[in-house]
Amino acid sequence: MAEGILIVAAILISLGVLFGVLRLLLGRTVVDRVAAVDMLTVVSISLIALYAHVADRFIYLDVALVYGVLSFLAVLAVARYLERGV
Amino acid sequence: MLELMVCLLCASILVSGFLAVRLDSLVPAMVSGSLAGLFAAVCYVVLGAPDVAMTEASIGSGLSTLILLYAIRRTAGAEE
Repeated sequence: MAEGILIVAAILISLGVLFGVLRLLLGRTVVDRVAAVDMLTVVSISLIALYAHVADRFIYLDVALVYGVLSFLAVLAVARYLERGV
Repeated sequence: MLELMVCLLCASILVSGFLAVRLDSLVPAMVSGSLAGLFAAVCYVVLGAPDVAMTEASIGSGLSTLILLYAIRRTAGAEE
């Protein structure tokens, strides 16, 4: 049962990465690409958390924590730059 | 399963690096470059180096994005 749930989660995360990269590749405007990068960040954090559970090493969750804080900062900086319209 | 995920991540790094080189506008190219760093950090975690991944996430995503945005803003008149 638990194995099945993990496999389904891995497939969903892979589909998320695939469609996010597709949006990044085909995106027409800057905002599309920034939104795709933000979504890919969240998907990557969930991938790290899933791998921390699978590998049974919970030190990896610290990486996911740092990742979340810093990518939020990066997306916020890009959004502020786009809003100001320089 | 794990090898498939590493292959998917490496393909994503390849696509974002290609976009970072080929896009003609500066901000999407910078965002694509920072995405390559983020996927590289995930790859480091899956391959078993969490300390390298933490450094890559903090420098490659946070610091380099801010510095490149600052540089683009300071040189906004030079954009083709």
